[in-house]
Amino acid sequence: MSAKNHKQWKIPAFEQGDYVDSRIYSDQNIFDEEQDKIFKQVWIPVCHESELPEAYDFRTTSIAKEPIIVVRGKDNEVRAFLNVCPHRGMRIERRTAGSFSDGQPSGNPKHMTCMFHAWQFDMKGNCVDIPRAKEGYQDRLTKENVGLRRLRCEVRFGGFVWVTLNDKVEQDLEAWADGAFECIRSAIDTEPLEVFHYHKAIIDSNYKLWHDTNSEFYHDYMHYHNRVTGFNDEYFARTNKGFKNGHVNVNSFTVQYGEFELGESREDLSFPGFPPNQWYMIDLFPGMNFNLRGSALRCDIVTPLGPNKVMIEFRGLGLKSDSQKDRKTRIEHHNSIWGPFGRNLHEDLLGITGQGASMQTGSEPRRILHGRHENNLIHDEIGMRHFYDEWSKWMGRNPSDPMDEQRKVLAAE
Amino acid sequence: MNAMKAAITAAVTDIVYRSCLYLDNGNWGEFLNLCDDSMIYSIKAYSVEIRRDMEYLSHNKKELGTLTEMLPKLNSDHSPLRRHASVYTVDIGEDGETATAVTSLAVYQNMHDGINSHIDSGETRLFLVGKYLDKFKISGESALLIEREVRLDTRRLDKGTHHLI
Repeated sequence: MSAKNHKQWKIPAFEQGDYVDSRIYSDQNIFDEEQDKIFKQVWIPVCHESELPEAYDFRTTSIAKEPIIVVRGKDNEVRAFLNVCPHRGMRIERRTAGSFSDGQPSGNPKHMTCMFHAWQFDMKGNCVDIPRAKEGYQDRLTKENVGLRRLRCEVRFGGFVWVTLNDKVEQDLEAWADGAFECIRSAIDTEPLEVFHYHKAIIDSNYKLWHDTNSEFYHDYMHYHNRVTGFNDEYFARTNKGFKNGHVNVNSFTVQYGEFELGESREDLSFPGFPPNQWYMIDLFPGMNFNLRGSALRCDIVTPLGPNKVMIEFRGLGLKSDSQKDRKTRIEHHNSIWGPFGRNLHEDLLGITGQGASMQTGSEPRRILHGRHENNLIHDEIGMRHFYDEWSKWMGRNPSDPMDEQRKVLAAE
Repeated sequence: MNAMKAAITAAVTDIVYRSCLYLDNGNWGEFLNLCDDSMIYSIKAYSVEIRRDMEYLSHNKKELGTLTEMLPKLNSDHSPLRRHASVYTVDIGEDGETATAVTSLAVYQNMHDGINSHIDSGETRLFLVGKYLDKFKISGESALLIEREVRLDTRRLDKGTHHLI
């Protein structure tokens, strides 16, 4: 049979679990649930410690619409708080990054100051000054009664700063990752890393479609670069490995960078204990990607903005100890593939843009397949299936039947 | 301004504007003909997020040739880029052998693909703003590009592009 009507098209010879219903990418209610049930509950990397290298440096970000500020105290500890003043709910710091070493128009040096009414806080989130507190609040409220909303925060896995909005998170970060980072642990944890690249993309597509793309290698057919540098026996022998909590990693092979016209071997520059020209990939639930390839580490962090809108922040990292020459080489290697003008990233983003265009809210529900089974080898779509098993647990929905329609029909029969 | 300086200024300005036309039209060979063999091309930006100067792309003339020849092999957005440039300043070196120019740049994208080509095609969107910071080798009254730094103000680049800016 060739082309199919809607009913025929919806029934491939696949079991549930080998496809998802496209409404998980487009339904507003599902999106809102994901924010509450997943993103407000789990560990999310929000920045890298090298973005706040000095005491009193800060970085602002957000998780599930909650504004967050990460600061480094004079004790060198990195802490995270809601970036919200307990007085009138004003966002305390409006800049994306900077230092509190200098004073602000409403506040003193070395303090976080809400510009609105000049409440001031130290780097541990303690309120240290409320203007004319005694006159206004008598003894009903003192600075000791208020402070910033503290968030659980860890610096781990190559120096990334991880935050959770969940005060009662059941697993610490190490347990949450369940060993997914072990394949690159010595490479990223032997000595400090440093961010050298940052850019962002806001794409009209669902955040899971980006994570899907990072979780499957079958789309390497889209990339001329990957076809010429990769498609060989060693590449097709790579395997996907699932971990608890929906994480997956993909083991390495030797990339033949020299096969690409603008390629250059990464043989002379790598990471501690990391063999040259290798490529490991870690996909962390619910949408973070760590990609150690040759001489550069890439990290993608998604911030879902709507069922059909996602912001993706891209970072590139090398070693803090890099010589100027080595850093330049890492940057060139990174950007030739992964920069906004590089060979691969543009193509990946075209891919999810096209998916977003065909899966807008209200579009005909479709079955989106991830049913390739190849003994967990590189083009096996086990990574996506593993992710959606976990998604199902958090959401209480079957991704193949998210509205419970098929189950109800079967029950009625 | 003496006649020689005026002629060099005119030659530099002419190269900047021609480079825009050639790049707009995907006429890569003609663009490269405006470049000396020592040409270095880069795209850079300062990130307020990580508080660092960043280099998004860097190539010499030979690599630029390879890059542009490779474009038909790559899956790219089909929406062409259009440059609006104003040469703000041209400064000629004291030795008369080099010159620099600062050009304000806005790059628009005429949608072909967009998000949904049925809806978006025909629309023009702002793609990025920045500057060309150019250096030239001067020979008599003629000039060749030896360095172009595309200094971006825009850092939210969404889908990005395979094309030179």
